[in-house]
Amino acid sequence: MSHQIVHIDLDSFFVSVERLINPKLIGKPVLVGGSSDRGVVASCSYEAREYGIHSAMPMRQARQLCPEAIIVRGDTSEYSKYSDIITEIIGETVPMYEKTSIDEFYMDLTGMDKFFGCYKLATELRQRIIKETNLPISFALSANKTVSKVGTGEAKPNGQKEIPIGTEKEFLAPLSIRKIPMVGDKTYQLLRGMGVMWIRTLQEMPMELLQQVLGENGSLIWRKAQGIDNSPVVPYSERKSISTERTFEQDTIDVNMLKGLLIGMAEKLAYQLRSEQKLTACVTVKIRYSDFNTYTMQARIPYTSLDHLLIDKVKELFDKLYQKRMLIRLIGIRFSHLVHGGHQYNLFDQTPEQIQLYQAMDKIRKRYGDEAVARAVGTDFKASKMNPFNGIKR
Amino acid sequence: MIDGVVVSKPIIPILNNFLFDIKDGELKISATDLETTMTTSIKVDAKEDLAIAIPSRTTLDLLKSLPDQPLAFSVNLEKGAVEIKYDAGRFKLTAQKGDEFPKNPGVDGGQKFTIPAKVLQKAITKTVFATSSDELRLNLTGVLVQLSANDITFVATDANRLVRFNRSDIKPGVEDSFILPKKALNLLKASLPNDDTEVTIDFNKSNAHFMFGDVTLVCRLIDEKYPDYKAVIPQDNPNKLLMDRNEFAMSVKRVSITSNKTTHQIRLKLAGSELTISAEDIDFENEAQEKLKCQYEGEDLEIGFNSKYLAEMIGAVDGTEVRLEMSQPNRAGVLLPAVAEENEHILMLVMPMMLNSY
Repeated sequence: MSHQIVHIDLDSFFVSVERLINPKLIGKPVLVGGSSDRGVVASCSYEAREYGIHSAMPMRQARQLCPEAIIVRGDTSEYSKYSDIITEIIGETVPMYEKTSIDEFYMDLTGMDKFFGCYKLATELRQRIIKETNLPISFALSANKTVSKVGTGEAKPNGQKEIPIGTEKEFLAPLSIRKIPMVGDKTYQLLRGMGVMWIRTLQEMPMELLQQVLGENGSLIWRKAQGIDNSPVVPYSERKSISTERTFEQDTIDVNMLKGLLIGMAEKLAYQLRSEQKLTACVTVKIRYSDFNTYTMQARIPYTSLDHLLIDKVKELFDKLYQKRMLIRLIGIRFSHLVHGGHQYNLFDQTPEQIQLYQAMDKIRKRYGDEAVARAVGTDFKASKMNPFNGIKR
Repeated sequence: MIDGVVVSKPIIPILNNFLFDIKDGELKISATDLETTMTTSIKVDAKEDLAIAIPSRTTLDLLKSLPDQPLAFSVNLEKGAVEIKYDAGRFKLTAQKGDEFPKNPGVDGGQKFTIPAKVLQKAITKTVFATSSDELRLNLTGVLVQLSANDITFVATDANRLVRFNRSDIKPGVEDSFILPKKALNLLKASLPNDDTEVTIDFNKSNAHFMFGDVTLVCRLIDEKYPDYKAVIPQDNPNKLLMDRNEFAMSVKRVSITSNKTTHQIRLKLAGSELTISAEDIDFENEAQEKLKCQYEGEDLEIGFNSKYLAEMIGAVDGTEVRLEMSQPNRAGVLLPAVAEENEHILMLVMPMMLNSY
């Protein structure tokens, strides 16, 4: 039996939410993202896309392309509020769904056609979301995740599409290879260099050839081009990592300030771990130098959520990682390998007083907000208010 | 018995061999990994004295598949060959000269004491499971042995739990301490007879030498400082729980089935004379709860533990009843047998896990 997978995706989600709040933005080129020269475009309206702007483009470049575009700072808590509403509607309607990002879902409707008709069900769901949130949303229905995702791209803006079972290959054939998820800038350039432009060409190529050029990914891309994708819809699960990073207004080499910032970041994330009753077993530190070269270093640790253990590790990793005497543009940390549970107290690593201190500090933060108390050295770092567990990019 | 010493990928190839050392009609067979060396001896009929290194794996495989019978070894030192003749046939192996085999380190200038084999075996069994396997904290990967004039104490900890095993009927007569590595302890545990055979232990700053029956084991000591374990053992925990050991163990085991597979966290809730043990795995939405009658003196308390640690410790305590003494949810719990055996004091300590309830 073949599967029935729906991919549903909100159209320029951040912009659409901004337009709900401020209707004056409708019909104009709108950019959401940091407004300084160093920011990037997080989302842009279809009007802006006509100027060649796309998301993840540096804001400075976007402004050159379209000087009259309206730039909105963005409000992540507002976005996650709408995302939650939509998640709830989807959860009520379908038996199994996967939330892959703040504005994107996969649903497995296999077996539903007996009772409802999958396309009809998905159409009704889309109408309900539009009615309840006033946000434009698109979906596509097909036999697997890849084809549905490509289909949604074709259905946009604010449309819907069904790719009947058995026609996946024909559907993909006339499209650009760019449309295949996984084909990013580099792969695209590489394939274009080989003279491959349309998915049809990929379909006709032997898999071994692609494997030679792209390695392990080659066979995956080849399978996707054939419309083959057996990956299951994995029910929504919580994030497996939390992270935070900071791009500086001006590149810096002030190590003391950097360390203070890292401590502040580690402290905030550690508090978030504890308040979600989670532990981490992997710490990663990231540095981007002014030449845009990015380096990361990670270390495994015993499961913990205690500040001093994490801060020590972060400092140690930073010292190991920061070797070049070069200006730094961005630093960040990430805690991954998260599990639910409480910290296993250690006989020698901490004193009962330390534990009591953390618990007291957490109580204060809980009551007066997470800015209420912190290590003095880390107070430079102000975390944004949103929750790192619900999948919003910082 | 001694094949446990041989490691699968030794640093130098000759460590894949047994050393056969024949002197005055006595055959000594040794195996070593440079850290631990084990030797056993038997009487043989030999024409001359010699020393030769024979591949351990092949020899053992042969010996294991042979029924009991006399074997004839003929050695050609020049060619480096050994021929083993048995009833049905013969076996030919290449061998190396015995003098290439690493020499046993001596324990000069050391001290000496004796302990009955079954006491040593018990001490190892009760402690070695609590050692750490974290190579970064080498001092915790072994068992601390503390000798004094009137008693002997074995201590093992992985920083999350600790076992202290003390015997006041063993009187080493010397004041000293050393850390024995886990591998040597496990080898000893497997080869010590469960009787009163006397084990003689010679030790100096770097090695310890165990002798019992026709076996000797030499191991390098862990040359690290052991943490101050005495400071972390709480005195007089006020909240005392008395439980049937078996019932407690089974209950912890059952409830822990639903605990998180990484943290193994379970929750003990004490109120009046009722103990509630519960666990949950948020990721899979599994949970379990059991209520047990118990004898409890103290304040109502809710405390989290790693069920693996707790179960191992309950299993390692003797007697039909155990006592768990606690103070606060973030302080160590102490597990003791309800009735202490004569001359033997065993104490197990386990650190709790943080329960978020603020």
